[in-house]
Amino acid sequence: MKPKSSFYQITSLFFFPQLFLNAPEDHPDDIYPIVLTTATQELFECCIDEDVTDQSPYKLLKKDDIIQDIKTRAAVSDFHPVKQFVLDYPEDEILLVFDVDFTYGQSFYLVLTPEAKARIYNPPQPEIIEVLEDDVSKTPEPKPWISLGSELEVDQESVKETREKLCYKFYLKRRPGLPVCFSDRNSTEAECRSVECPSYQDSRFSIKRMQRDCGMQAVPRLQSSTTQTQRAFQRNIFTQYEPRELSKKEKERILSSENLRKFLNSVTPRVLHALQQTHIMNVFTDDFKALGIGAEASDRLVMVSEGLKLQWTFTDEKRAMGNKISSVSWHPTIHGLIAVAFIKKQEEQLDKSTAYINSPAFIVFYGFPDQSNPRLLLECPDDIFAFEFCPSNPNVIVGGCRNGKVLLFHSTIQHITVACLLSHQDFDKKENKTPVMRYCAVSSIESSHKSPVTDVQWLPKTFEQDVDQKTMMTPYSIPKTFKHLDRTWKPLFRVLSCLGCITELMICVFAHVFVMPLKEYTILYNLTEIRKTHTYIYKQFYVHFLQEGEIVYTDWKLEEDEFERKFSAKPLLCFRTHAWFVNTMQRSPFFKDILLTTGGWNFAIWKEGVMGGPIFVGPSSEQEYSAACWSLSRPAVFFIGRNDGSIEVWNLLLNTSESTHFHEHIASTRITCIKPCIASSKQHYLAVADNLGMLRVFSVPKTLRSPVKNEDLNMQIFFDREHDRLKDYLEWEEQWAKQRKEAGESKKQVVSSGF
Amino acid sequence: MTEFSLLSPIQGQKGVQGIIVANSEGIPIKSTLDNSSTVQYAGLIHQLVMKARSTIRDIDPQNDLTFMRVRSKKNEIMIAPDKDFFLIVIQNPSD
Repeated sequence: MKPKSSFYQITSLFFFPQLFLNAPEDHPDDIYPIVLTTATQELFECCIDEDVTDQSPYKLLKKDDIIQDIKTRAAVSDFHPVKQFVLDYPEDEILLVFDVDFTYGQSFYLVLTPEAKARIYNPPQPEIIEVLEDDVSKTPEPKPWISLGSELEVDQESVKETREKLCYKFYLKRRPGLPVCFSDRNSTEAECRSVECPSYQDSRFSIKRMQRDCGMQAVPRLQSSTTQTQRAFQRNIFTQYEPRELSKKEKERILSSENLRKFLNSVTPRVLHALQQTHIMNVFTDDFKALGIGAEASDRLVMVSEGLKLQWTFTDEKRAMGNKISSVSWHPTIHGLIAVAFIKKQEEQLDKSTAYINSPAFIVFYGFPDQSNPRLLLECPDDIFAFEFCPSNPNVIVGGCRNGKVLLFHSTIQHITVACLLSHQDFDKKENKTPVMRYCAVSSIESSHKSPVTDVQWLPKTFEQDVDQKTMMTPYSIPKTFKHLDRTWKPLFRVLSCLGCITELMICVFAHVFVMPLKEYTILYNLTEIRKTHTYIYKQFYVHFLQEGEIVYTDWKLEEDEFERKFSAKPLLCFRTHAWFVNTMQRSPFFKDILLTTGGWNFAIWKEGVMGGPIFVGPSSEQEYSAACWSLSRPAVFFIGRNDGSIEVWNLLLNTSESTHFHEHIASTRITCIKPCIASSKQHYLAVADNLGMLRVFSVPKTLRSPVKNEDLNMQIFFDREHDRLKDYLEWEEQWAKQRKEAGESKKQVVSSGF
Repeated sequence: MTEFSLLSPIQGQKGVQGIIVANSEGIPIKSTLDNSSTVQYAGLIHQLVMKARSTIRDIDPQNDLTFMRVRSKKNEIMIAPDKDFFLIVIQNPSD
């Protein structure tokens, strides 16, 4: 395309004669061939074959440069001949063309007119710019739309109204001016439901769906799962240490070594020296302590003045009157709480079957210092002859009834503490209402005893017993389990013992011993006709006291008879120490094998393991002994209650033939039970119960509660001495019996020989 | 065995409850008590002796433990240590 050449002016060429002279022929007018020397070439940067070549022969030279060159070099300059042309040249740049073919006769030629320059040399740059300018400037014209069929689909899918919308207007004519009443109405209410025309399915008319649009979406199925490797296998491991021991060979080797001998030889003198020293003298004695603490140490001085001091008397008018106390027990853990069981005094009842108790019996809890109102009552179906707190769990109480049943009480600790903490004022407000608690479990009739239960004891855990098939071991913590126990108690085994065992073993029905297992502790109780008997446990044997004052020693282990039924062993020993009923048997709290028994008119001290008899028998007194107990703090002291309501205090170290203290007529009637209790180191109490339902609590004075120096040692010596004496006596008796037999035989011989 | 004769003067003393001979590591060699008590005594007293010995020697390195007597409420324990063995005697004091 021919560029617009508005910039370019047509200029006229000036012909110069010299030009013609110098210039060769056959060249156009606006072309002037010239020769450029090397120096000029270098100056204008148009060296042949370097700056200008065959392919790019054009070179634009600046007009000013040429003029400058002409001025500097004057006639020598190559451009001298064209000086006038250059000066007249309108533009700034003049085209120099390298003439390879020498078309105009010289190596270069100069283009003298701008048109020629434009003709020959077409610079590309302005062309490009012009093309771009053309495209941008033009705005696109909208083309007519060519239908390809999509408007049909659009028409199909579009929703158009087939007809004009109908509009109905309803109004109620009313006279204007009337009062208006506006109110709200809930459209969901049934009364003012808005009228609507719901759509319904018309059976006459159906549209078949021809096409259905549905969309699909690919959902990646995700599944997450985890695993965990167990780092370590759980294993029960334990480590048990064993002390290092030397093997036999090693021991023998060492024992026979010279080394050991030398060692022993060197060490023995030192050890002997030390042993003798300790034996001679005890360097660690405290002399002041050994002197004793003044008057308290000596019993002899303070014999008469101090005695038991009455602290409190507990009675309960409603329940106590007319009843005798059968058993008293201190609460093992709560200080100041004592429980008393009442039984009704009755005349001799020949007909037991009609002995029907009308009013329920109670175990009454008394607490310090309230003397007339009991704190807690435990309701029992029948009179309780004996009851005991469980040593390991003081909330459990077992009791034995007159009708032969065994009861179990379980109280939560709150019951008892609440009872204790109730103050006197509360009682006034509450109108003397005391809390009552019922028993939890009772033995069933068929497995109860036939006669009253007179003694109940807790067996410690150390006894091993085989569980008979008849029994069940039940867990022992919650009252709920007692319901289960209720009526399902069965005896562990029945031990039948005889009464008159001097002759033969007779199986009689009078005395039964039942054992009921209850987890840690077992209750052992027995019964007799009317009077109390006690049973005592000693390892494999139990000692059973009977009503005739006989003491029976029997093995605990069961034997099997030919019918493979469990059978009790024969009693081993039987003693008739007490002339009348044995009412107390108690183990000394200091010596594990010493027992105290009282019955009839005297008391006896027994040592277990000694089969020959009691090691000590006290003197007979004029009054019947009815209760006894050891002192809890002094090994040599015990208390005996009598039939006339007096208490004797015996101190075996002081006087073995009579009581040390004698408190006359503490109670007006027979004392039924004595129980001591240690509340604190300074407060020792003795509870004395009598036949009239009164419970008296005495405080034990210091003389009777603080032990003398070495009292236990002295008592041990005393018992050993008595034991030896008994042994000697038995031996002597044996010998004497032998002698008599020999004497009798010799007499017989004499008599027979006489004939 | 020969050591019986060596131990008999000690054993004959009044109030002696038991004698134990143990080696320097606390393992009993010979004893007049039952095994469990022996092992217990030997082990415990060995530790005590070690402690006492180190105490004495800490105070004065030239010194050494020659004899120890431990008096308790119920009895007295006498310990005679040596380089390779030690002897334990348990005695009931006179009163």
